[in-house]
Amino acid sequence: MAYSDKVLDHYNHPRNVGSLDKSSADVGTGMVGAPECGDVMKLQVKVNPQTGVIEDAKFKTFGCGSAIASSSLATEWLKGKTVDQALEIKNTDIVNELSLPPVKIHCSVLAEDAIKAAISDYKNKQTARSAEAVAV
Amino acid sequence: MPIIAKNFYDFFGLERKLGIDTADLQKRFYELSRRWHPDRFTRKSAAEQADALDATAVLNDGYRTLRDPVKRAEYLLTEEGFPIGEQRSKDVPPELLEEVFELNMMLEELRGGDESARPQLESAKQTFIDLRSGVDRDLERLFTTYDAAEPASETARQALHEIRGALNRRRYIENLIRDVDRALNPAIATEEPVENLL
Repeated sequence: MAYSDKVLDHYNHPRNVGSLDKSSADVGTGMVGAPECGDVMKLQVKVNPQTGVIEDAKFKTFGCGSAIASSSLATEWLKGKTVDQALEIKNTDIVNELSLPPVKIHCSVLAEDAIKAAISDYKNKQTARSAEAVAV
Repeated sequence: MPIIAKNFYDFFGLERKLGIDTADLQKRFYELSRRWHPDRFTRKSAAEQADALDATAVLNDGYRTLRDPVKRAEYLLTEEGFPIGEQRSKDVPPELLEEVFELNMMLEELRGGDESARPQLESAKQTFIDLRSGVDRDLERLFTTYDAAEPASETARQALHEIRGALNRRRYIENLIRDVDRALNPAIATEEPVENLL
């Protein structure tokens, strides 16, 4: 199956590969996987707690070209967005941008799941921190 | 001339249960093999010869499917309208994903020529083999639950639902073990041996 030029570009030159400090309270980590194809995707965001703006995003994906491209694109889009704006990213946006064929739509779903998981992890950490602050 | 049953359970004259006595299955397989052997049809009509050929195909596919617990369960799920392989990431336990991620990191290191990853991979492989054994025990328990339940009851459906989850998890783990094997022994072909059934 032929990949689109955009998928190939992200696959050959993935953006923002790497990891952020998982233990930091300002970092949210999302780990998702697709059992049917064995893909596993880790996506992390570093948020400025004052402004709620995502200052950095990193990913590492083991999987097919479309899964790598979807998560690479997602990290590009995440930077500079607020956490609430980030939650508005839909898998269909990724499908359209990368011209993913129907059989690869699940890769974009995985990327959307990863974004949601990362933001939810960040929010949980912030809630835990403010709870601690109140307790002290 | 009897009509040849396309359903494997019907063809072998078995109840649609997940627990199967494989010795009994083998006995039935040999009996049916003799009955449908092409040599017995050489003097029969073209239609009967064609039937015998169809029967042999069902016989071999059916035996291969039913004697293997995983293939058997996949077959029964599909027959009962529970297509496998439809599962979202939410269904995978997060701890498993962490393990899978770490494993992939190690695989990448080894493929990149870092031999220090080898012992870690060996031990990771054992972890996943243990995980697979755990899933197999779950499956055994669920097979019993399903077989004891009233057909098409809520309990039966629930068991099938859980079996599907376990099968997907098993397939995931199985693929990982295969990947580790390939990374550890790149020279060894991992093709499954082709068995001669007849």
